[in-house]
Amino acid sequence: MDRRELLKLIALATGTAFVGGEFFLSGCTNPEAGPSVEFSQDDVAYLDEVGETILPKTNSPGAKEAKIGAFMTIMVNDCYSAADQKAFHAGLQQLNDECKKMHDVTFMKATPEQRKSLLIKLDGDAKEYAKKKPDFDAQQVKKQKEEHEKGNTGFEKERWTAHYFSMMKQLTISGYYTSKEGRMGSMRYTPVPGKYDGDLNYKKGDKAFAGLD
Amino acid sequence: MADNTFDAIVVGSGISGGWAAKELTERGLKVIMLERGHNIEHIKDYESTNKPTWEYPHRGGRTQQMIKEYPVLKRDYPLNERSLHWWVKDSECPYTETKRFDWFRGYHVGGRSLMWGRQTYRWSDIDFEANAVDGHGVDWPIRYKEIDPWYTHVEKFAGIQGTVENLPQLPDSHFLPGMPLNIVEKDVAARIKQHYDNKRTLIIGRTAHVTAPIPGRTPCQYRNMCANGCPFGAYFSTQSSTLPAAMATGKLTLRPFSIVTEIIYDKDSKKAKGVRILDAETNQTHEFFSKVVFLCASAFNSTWVLMNSATDIWPEGLGSSSGELGHNVMDHHFRCGANGDVEGYDDKYYYGFRPTGFYVPRFRNLPGDEKRGYLRGFGYQGAANRQGWSREVREMNIGADLKDMLAEPGPWRIGATAFGEILPYHDNTISLDKAKKDKWNLPVLAMNVTIRENEKTMRVDMQNDMKEMLEAAGVKNVDTYDNEYFPGMGIHEMGTARMGKDPKTSVLNANNQVWDCKNVFVTDGACMTSAACVNPSLTYMALTARAAAFAVDELNKKNI
Repeated sequence: MDRRELLKLIALATGTAFVGGEFFLSGCTNPEAGPSVEFSQDDVAYLDEVGETILPKTNSPGAKEAKIGAFMTIMVNDCYSAADQKAFHAGLQQLNDECKKMHDVTFMKATPEQRKSLLIKLDGDAKEYAKKKPDFDAQQVKKQKEEHEKGNTGFEKERWTAHYFSMMKQLTISGYYTSKEGRMGSMRYTPVPGKYDGDLNYKKGDKAFAGLD
Repeated sequence: MADNTFDAIVVGSGISGGWAAKELTERGLKVIMLERGHNIEHIKDYESTNKPTWEYPHRGGRTQQMIKEYPVLKRDYPLNERSLHWWVKDSECPYTETKRFDWFRGYHVGGRSLMWGRQTYRWSDIDFEANAVDGHGVDWPIRYKEIDPWYTHVEKFAGIQGTVENLPQLPDSHFLPGMPLNIVEKDVAARIKQHYDNKRTLIIGRTAHVTAPIPGRTPCQYRNMCANGCPFGAYFSTQSSTLPAAMATGKLTLRPFSIVTEIIYDKDSKKAKGVRILDAETNQTHEFFSKVVFLCASAFNSTWVLMNSATDIWPEGLGSSSGELGHNVMDHHFRCGANGDVEGYDDKYYYGFRPTGFYVPRFRNLPGDEKRGYLRGFGYQGAANRQGWSREVREMNIGADLKDMLAEPGPWRIGATAFGEILPYHDNTISLDKAKKDKWNLPVLAMNVTIRENEKTMRVDMQNDMKEMLEAAGVKNVDTYDNEYFPGMGIHEMGTARMGKDPKTSVLNANNQVWDCKNVFVTDGACMTSAACVNPSLTYMALTARAAAFAVDELNKKNI
């Protein structure tokens, strides 16, 4: 087993890796290739603003600069299961509806402060919703075990569909910190470290090292 | 000599095949190495090795299209955007899962030596004697003292980093300077050592990485991009190590796209005359002739070749007279262990991406210890790290503070997964499924492999022991986990043409010769009589080099 993957195995095992972390690692059982609904250019612009609210420009680039909207649409189209795509697309509308409810304006017309307070609320909702995941997963593991014991070896467990805001937040974070802008602009990019030092002094505020992968 | 006649044929170009080619050519033989897949040239063809994550449309992830096209590969990490081109396309090379079996293959020059985990450990006599002691499988025909000089021989050339520990259950290799443990791992190691009165140890994971210059290779640059091929040749692969040496002799011919379909057996001389191949590109059949054949096509594929050979004499194939060909499938079971939070060390970090972690050598069921409720044992591979940007930050929601925080290293965590020994069960089998054909209309393999009570009972200790050790070392919030294991996931297939002392119960003798055909040698994972709990590749290297030297001696003495 490759070293990078071993680390993921160890890290993910506790479930402390944040919701949606498995998007990078595994897919759904019944893949249906291709997008179920197309994204428009307006959607890309809208998602750029959602991403920018989650990771705004400071003295380092923001998510919009890392073209987060386009990244989100590529990932949803190509990597999400049909069920997750559906939840994500519905989420575009739901997020806007929540904005109108809270601030009486659409998300695109809302001020940065209004956007931020909205997304803080949605983040709370998503975290609340995610609390049901462990039970769901445990049940699926149990079911898979039973089916395998019955000889139904092809059976694979159903995957949890995350809250749409968890998806947006996860895509923003993963897209940003794997982008050129995010890596070079906010972290210490060291593609060829040349040596290993396992006892390096660190002080709060020092950025993490990032490599090629 | 005719164009199609050589002194030796080597089937396969992975870890074992590369070693066979090197040793045989360096001992003066004219060799052809037949590889079923395409060529991959060292450095030049490592297309993703310098590619940063943002140049991948899905940042190295997997798409629904990939999942659809790779029904087996999707079950574990090999399905990803970075290294997909190095794994076999399931749809072209199907197999039958009588029971779920995850078979991850690399059909190209270099085989899985390009993608392997590079963990490198010697076996000890505890391993070579295990079958004899508890009566499972058959006894190994060799002991440590016979393989010891060959371990040294291959280690000096391959380049193994590690530290001298003087452990009876894990003999030291001929080491290049060991990569260091990080500060947390060092402290945890010291506390474990003290708590268990030196009975348990945590050491650097020994790997086939060059940490000091050796000819033609540049020391590791700590990029941890090994799985994409190393432009520095810092880790051992056929391409970085054995192939250039074999080529330098001027005696090696490498022929990619050559699927060996059978060994041509001559019943009068009771020897192999050569092999028949199917050209994977042209679908033409060709024959090559030689004095000896080295089967190094990976455990299951070498066995498949034997099953398809000399069937007019032995319906179940060459080497099947013992009734053991295709039986005794072994792997290593893993994906369970424990992990937890390391408090403190906020003022410590590390520089560089180390391509190995720590290793905890086996400590259960060693001679003289209390017996557990299962046989054999396990070791652990793990690491301590500060968490990266994908960590969950419960107290943080969104905004500039979140961005700043995730750009900094997170709290330390430490964790490990055990790798456990699987016993050789006669009824864990692979067999030919003639009803199903691959892209070349060749019959495929059917796998029928399960783990049993011994392994399942072992998995309880595999989780609890790490929890106990981490807690003894002061690690907080320690949780155990079991992410499920299915046979094949270890990518350590072994045992389907095992070595032994008796032709009635084994396929190969003590020199890896097929009992029924002395000029055919099998030196990949198929030859393994038991599995031990350590990664097997170093043992394949040593057995291959040893068998190659023996084969040349026998040729010179006109014994084969």
